Amino acid sequence: MKTLLIIAITGLLCGSAFAVEGNAESAKGKISMCQGCHGIYDYKATFPKVYRVPMIAGQQSGYIAKALAAYKSGTRTQPNMRAIAESLSDQDIADLAAYYGSAK
Amino acid sequence: MKRCLASCCLLVALACSGPASAGGDAAAGQSKSTVCISCHGAGGNAPISPEYPKLAGQHDDYLQNALRDYQKGARKDPVMSAQAANLTPQDILDLAAYFSSQAGNLTVKY
Repeated sequence: MKTLLIIAITGLLCGSAFAVEGNAESAKGKISMCQGCHGIYDYKATFPKVYRVPMIAGQQSGYIAKALAAYKSGTRTQPNMRAIAESLSDQDIADLAAYYGSAK
Repeated sequence: MKRCLASCCLLVALACSGPASAGGDAAAGQSKSTVCISCHGAGGNAPISPEYPKLAGQHDDYLQNALRDYQKGARKDPVMSAQAANLTPQDILDLAAYFSSQAGNLTVKY
């Protein structure tokens, strides 16, 4: 019983150590939905507000992963990004973060 | 004559409305950026954590939107919500003008 508890607590503490590792190469089959907006120079989000979507190539991979996870969970609310992120697995998110984070 | 005057007024108004970036002063933004660069790094291009975004060269209207969202609570982050809370609308324009004008490696990748 005690052992189980220790394992459970260790698991919680090490949560980040179990994070999925991203593979930039595998992301290449997954970027089409990103590129439709982020791959077009000066593309603008039009709903609910109008502004240029951010440039994400060359961005920090940890930030991209955090942003996608936040859209997926609903803590970030831009409607297009929510719809897309909901369809992503943790592996997809890690791969996309690795891909855009490594872009030069 | 009256109609001509009205048209002229309309033209002037249109000419002055400009793009979304109008009104930001990059030099003023730099002097307000001290607290930003303590996490986002020099020029917003060298964040101290991989989870913090680069700001250098990012679109100014995107940066403005992000700061306004933090201020309104539409976007939440323990650090950024507190930082954005006290910014004036002019501060937001100035900071966005400054960081978007900095050299960085953010790109649109085809």
